Amino acid sequence: MSVIEARDLRRSYRTRTGLWKREKKVVEAVRGVSFAVEQGELFGLLGPNAAGKTTTIKMLITLLLPTSGSASVLGHDVVDDAREVRRHIGYVFGGDRGLYERLNALDNLRYFAELYGVPAREQKQRIGALLELVGLTGREKERTEGFSRGMRQRLHIARGLLHDPEVLFLDEPTIGIDPVGARELRATIGTLKGQGKTILLTTHYMFEADELCDRIAVIRAGELVAEGTPATLKQRVTGGHVMEVETFGMPESAVAAVRSLAGVSTAAVEERGQAQVLLVQVGPGAEVTSAVLGCLGGVNVGRVSSREPTLEDAYVELVSGQ
Amino acid sequence: MSGDITTSLRIFFVGGLISFRALFNWLSPWIYIPSLLIAPIFQILLFAYIGRSAGIESDAFFVIGNAVQYSAIPCLFAMANTIAGERSTQTLGIVLSTPARRIPLFLGRSLPVVVNGFFVSMFSLVVGSLLLGVTIPRSAWLPLALVVAVAAMSCTGLGLTNAALGLRVRETAVLSNVLFGVLLIFCGVNVSLDALPDWMAAVGSWLPLTHAIEAARELAAGDTLGSVAGLIGREVGLGMLYGGVGLAALRWLEIEGRRSATLEVQ
Repeated sequence: MSVIEARDLRRSYRTRTGLWKREKKVVEAVRGVSFAVEQGELFGLLGPNAAGKTTTIKMLITLLLPTSGSASVLGHDVVDDAREVRRHIGYVFGGDRGLYERLNALDNLRYFAELYGVPAREQKQRIGALLELVGLTGREKERTEGFSRGMRQRLHIARGLLHDPEVLFLDEPTIGIDPVGARELRATIGTLKGQGKTILLTTHYMFEADELCDRIAVIRAGELVAEGTPATLKQRVTGGHVMEVETFGMPESAVAAVRSLAGVSTAAVEERGQAQVLLVQVGPGAEVTSAVLGCLGGVNVGRVSSREPTLEDAYVELVSGQ
Repeated sequence: MSGDITTSLRIFFVGGLISFRALFNWLSPWIYIPSLLIAPIFQILLFAYIGRSAGIESDAFFVIGNAVQYSAIPCLFAMANTIAGERSTQTLGIVLSTPARRIPLFLGRSLPVVVNGFFVSMFSLVVGSLLLGVTIPRSAWLPLALVVAVAAMSCTGLGLTNAALGLRVRETAVLSNVLFGVLLIFCGVNVSLDALPDWMAAVGSWLPLTHAIEAARELAAGDTLGSVAGLIGREVGLGMLYGGVGLAALRWLEIEGRRSATLEVQ
């Protein structure tokens, strides 16, 4: 039995616009997602904004009811046996909020320790150990309103671990944290994996997924478009190479022209400071440099280089739907 | 099983107190004193002087009515904020993804609200009486305190129903304001039920505070606790009715919120 199983999960939302003449619209956020996560595995769910990652997680942690399909955690159905699911999972999301600002870190943890039924005699030791794990020892008496984003995020992790859950759902836990803080958080996630926790992680950061995840599923517009280990996903784009062209003032029409060239798999633009870097995935054996530069007539071009594909390139190819 | 009971008791008492500290926006003295200790005195003085100038009712009538009714501010607003406040801190989803049983979770949040409502009413009663020279027999104060506690409890029952709506909508303060006005008009606070149109008196008899205010006035006039037992019983019954409706609404609206994805709407 897999620890987490999603079977053809679907979720749609109704949205309304206007005050008097209200128009209703149905948005399909998740459209038939299926996957399984095994014991002790760190499974990454990758996708662009609004791809359906958070909606999927919220169905798995019992905060949303699926429109159809089913899911279970440790064999407990997320709809029919929600309370049992909640006993065994921890949920951590990224961002500034999700803490009681007027309480100190210790009371934030004490409150959730009560809600998770951690026995009173164990709370002190458990909370102390978790504060140590996330590097907040000595700061526990401070109100969280004065905490930095990194400290808040680490406190979130501690909160999610209070009841020693077997399964952890981490929804973009490193979002908005400085590089040093993010690295420390990744180390903490690695430690948790080492302790045998089963973890489902969503992230935008490819290097993070590459570094941490045993397997990855890529979700686009509510559907899984690929699943496999980071190595197998990278193989999708190996054989070719990635051409990077630094430009200044790149029009969308030029990107479209590059995309239509023979031998080009995908083309995307990434903002880097003042420059826009055109990332062109080139198929095996194809030589497109002059053709690409030909499409950029009138655009200021800087450095042109070529490199081996990364997981990010595989991701870009998958989510750009080509 | 006993572990489950212990957990629920701890969630009720310890969790309730921690969440009150976390979510009660008026906990600062700079907000608490003007909003909950000075404002009710203004309300008492306003209606007492209107009564004097119109030559109707006694000062005691207005002091008791308004002091007991003012518990509605903490009981309605603070109770509603125990859930609506979770939206602004974005903790509602986290709380609802815990296995905590909902009855101790939400009822525990109501206990500090009842205590606070009781304190606000008693303070208003004492200070209002002193300012207006109202004499309440010494022997009546203890039964009065009991009636005020019952009033705070029953009003918190209504507050719980109001709070449940916080699982579905964001603007609970709007309804809290409307309910405060309804209680002010329909519960015989400043106009006795006899003087209200029949339909308003009938509505008032199904609202919290009405029977407690009547009982408190009778106690202040020298009646015994036994003679107002019926009124207190009705007040307790209404409190339990509204509390029960609130808990049922919380259960239903949580499921509905999971279905309609409204639990985490900001």
